[in-house]
Amino acid sequence: MATKILVAVKQVIALDEDFEIRADGKDVDADFFLRDLNEWDDFSLEEAVKIKEAGGEVEVVVVTVGPEEADESLRKCLAKGADRAVRIWDETMEGSDSQAIARVLAAAIKHEKPDLVFAGVQSSDHSFASTGIAVAGLLGWPHAAVVNQFDFSLGATQAVIRRELEGGVLQMMNIDLPAVLSIQLGINTPRYASLRTIKQAAAKPIESWGLSELSLSASDVGEAGSASRVRRMYIPEKGRAQMIEGSLAEQAAKLAAIIKEFKGASV
Amino acid sequence: MIDSLSITRTLFEDFRPLAVTIFYAIGYGAIGVFLWGTWIQIRKYRYGTTYDVAGSLISRFKQMSATMLTHRTLVRRDHAAGGAHALIFFGFALLFLGTSTITVEYDILKPLTGMRFWYGNFYLWFSLVLDVAGLMLGGGLVFMMWRRGWLKPPKLNYARPDRSPTDPDYDRSGYRIEDWAFLWSLLIIAVTGFVLEGMRLVWLQSRPEVWDYRWWSPIGSAVAMAMRGVGLGAETAGTIRSGLWWFHGLIALAFIALIPFTKVKHIFTASASLMLRDPLAAQRLPRVPDTQESVGFSYITDLNWKQLLHLDACTKCGRCHEACPANATGAPLSPRDVILSLREFANKTLASGTLPDQVELDIHGKSPGQVSMETLWSCRTCMACVEICPVAVEHIPIIVQMRRKLVEAGDMDPLLTKTLQTIAKTGNSFGESKRKRGSWTKALATPIKDARKEPVDYLWFVGDYASFDPRNQKVSQTFAGLLQEANVDFGLLYDSEQNAGNDVRRVGEEGLYDLLATANIEAMKNAQFKTIVTTDPHSFNTIRNEYGDFGGTFEIEHYTTLLRDLLTSGRLKVTKPLGYRVTFHDPCHLGRFNKGYDAPRDILKMIGCELIDMKRCRDNSFCCGAGGGRIWMPDPVGVEKPAQNRIREAAWIEGLEVYVVSCPKDLTMFEDAVKTTGNEGRFVVRELIELVREAVASPVVLEAPVEELA
Repeated sequence: MATKILVAVKQVIALDEDFEIRADGKDVDADFFLRDLNEWDDFSLEEAVKIKEAGGEVEVVVVTVGPEEADESLRKCLAKGADRAVRIWDETMEGSDSQAIARVLAAAIKHEKPDLVFAGVQSSDHSFASTGIAVAGLLGWPHAAVVNQFDFSLGATQAVIRRELEGGVLQMMNIDLPAVLSIQLGINTPRYASLRTIKQAAAKPIESWGLSELSLSASDVGEAGSASRVRRMYIPEKGRAQMIEGSLAEQAAKLAAIIKEFKGASV
Repeated sequence: MIDSLSITRTLFEDFRPLAVTIFYAIGYGAIGVFLWGTWIQIRKYRYGTTYDVAGSLISRFKQMSATMLTHRTLVRRDHAAGGAHALIFFGFALLFLGTSTITVEYDILKPLTGMRFWYGNFYLWFSLVLDVAGLMLGGGLVFMMWRRGWLKPPKLNYARPDRSPTDPDYDRSGYRIEDWAFLWSLLIIAVTGFVLEGMRLVWLQSRPEVWDYRWWSPIGSAVAMAMRGVGLGAETAGTIRSGLWWFHGLIALAFIALIPFTKVKHIFTASASLMLRDPLAAQRLPRVPDTQESVGFSYITDLNWKQLLHLDACTKCGRCHEACPANATGAPLSPRDVILSLREFANKTLASGTLPDQVELDIHGKSPGQVSMETLWSCRTCMACVEICPVAVEHIPIIVQMRRKLVEAGDMDPLLTKTLQTIAKTGNSFGESKRKRGSWTKALATPIKDARKEPVDYLWFVGDYASFDPRNQKVSQTFAGLLQEANVDFGLLYDSEQNAGNDVRRVGEEGLYDLLATANIEAMKNAQFKTIVTTDPHSFNTIRNEYGDFGGTFEIEHYTTLLRDLLTSGRLKVTKPLGYRVTFHDPCHLGRFNKGYDAPRDILKMIGCELIDMKRCRDNSFCCGAGGGRIWMPDPVGVEKPAQNRIREAAWIEGLEVYVVSCPKDLTMFEDAVKTTGNEGRFVVRELIELVREAVASPVVLEAPVEELA
């Protein structure tokens, strides 16, 4: 009986130089989008593939909620050792916040019935840091966040995890399985996926699901299914950084004057 | 009057027929052992993958013969050894030809047709030539013994940098013993040959047809006179001759029989290797065939048969070992030892008719015969090894193919991994946005044409460093200014240009190279231009030699030939001859790789500089250490870097003012090395372009000060 690990991944957006805000003011203009797999997902996927390579029957399934562009990130996961890749999308999912995404993922998990779910602690673009745990909440599963060590044997009903807290403190826990774990950076060293293996992974199929496969409706997703809505996105005004010009002596004098000004103001 | 027919040597004189039969039996036995040994070698090569030899075998044979007869590759960087080898080579060849000539008459012509030719004047001149040949052979061997035993060049102790003293294959005494055995056995054969000559003369001194013509064998005659002088009689000489005859014969036949089992096989493996030489072996690396499942070399059987032959061609001369910049700075890499390790591995695993299990064929690791990761990653792919090897061993393709497997497995320095990911994402090693590739042009008064939008004469392929590194951006701006003043019609690809891929390929990330090359070729095909010019030797090499395999054949020159043309034609005029005392560092990828040694020197002359070349110049230029992806890997701490070694070499030049480079990586590495070797203030590092700018002094108007680039 194979152990199935489901890894929820996200193709995140990094911003190119000199980006501009979109006309409707709610997001950055898509011309400046640079897409890549979320950095945390490198680590969670690596953790799953390591378990697979340690021996025994293990299947690693990566699942993402995203449009067609996300296929590229899924291929990278397949190149790194995932067995199957699933992309879930419907136009109505546009504008989903982390709760709506969690609802979709929970439906996928009910469909796939994995023994373990990994997610990243957060995504590097929207940084809600809640999707993984929200999935656990919707499923009623045991869960732990910011996991930086995971010890488990195949078929066991419990695992030992270590969590990273503030101030350098670590917490060790036993957790019942199946569970949802959000994985922290540094848990392992993610492998390099050579471009050749990524290209070869293009031959592997990517399953494509929509609302009907998951028995969801349009009101479950998108803005309709979200707990929050974006009002606007903007670049804050530049701070009080000032370039001090002039010769060395002039710069020193100006700097001294500024310091005196602040000293005076704080008295 | 003596009948000329009797002026000859009677073979097997005074031998009982049984003795002759026994001798022939041993002779055929020796030939049999030789042939069997040859078969074992050939069977070993057959375990390798296929390889198609380009070009006609006949013209390759002719080239190989010319190379061997002139000893062109052997005299390089070691005239004395090359000369001594020529003596041994031609001495041995003549003696072998001589014996074959006798065999032709004695075993073929005379028994079949009764014809004879080995007598009279022919015989006398024959004797003289062969005595000289024997003297050459002996003289060459004695020199080699003296060189090895007294001069003791360090490379001949075969100490290897890629193993520690506790490793089982660290000890190289086996090789040294074999080398001495080879020298001594050949010398003994030569010396006993002469003594035999002398003995025969003393033995047959009563025959005028022998004794009166003895001086046609001058050495043998000298021996005979000396022997007679100490009272040796004819009968005793005859007895000694019989014994010595067998001794000499048996050693000689054993020598022949053992050729395929000893280093003497280099007679065949070296000449075959030379015949199969690929002059672009390091400049144009092989593609991964689309049908191939795995990538790179994991097992000894992944090497093609030509490479397996290379492993046997190596004669441990040590020229590659001495030329290697990694070895010179204490890295665990010697090109010689990569080849010898793999040779030992092949001999261990491929010596029988059945192949061991695949797991035993793995050539990666630290066990005897394997090559470690540290060794492979130390290589700068500077091609000093390939270029100097007298027997045309091609080390670099083997190293790169082994790296391909390491890359696939992710066995790389983390910084290198990160850089490859950065290049895959942004198309450059700096992680900068593609849009910023042309930012350096903003400082120019006149904008540079976009070759994607309008046709130009020259497409200038700038490269990563020259586009993004601040120090090199200045050089790019200077070059742009020069081109504009000379009214050259040129343009850029701007953000359609990506890393040319030369070093990515040499790191072993072939998939990423494919991506980069294909993208660049597509951009170039969509632009209109006549020639490409580049300021980056690495880009120059890959576009010139490798892009053709990916569907992009373009005319390309390095800036040095273009600048030289502009100066000679007067489009750029030298108004201020500089008078600096300079030295020029030949960049690996321009010099050794593409033979571009002269244009930079011509330019330096035209701009009035006094050029004093370093000892290691031109083909022997010492790599700055940045190649092969090493610029993306951290150097070990506390160890001299190649660039420092090189700057120290330059510092020996009395009154040196400028260390001239013509490669962006060289500029970066050497400016750093001048500081870290404590030579700051003694001389400066300048790009050749900057010196030309100074000599062709004319105001260069920039919109913004060069330092303040975003």
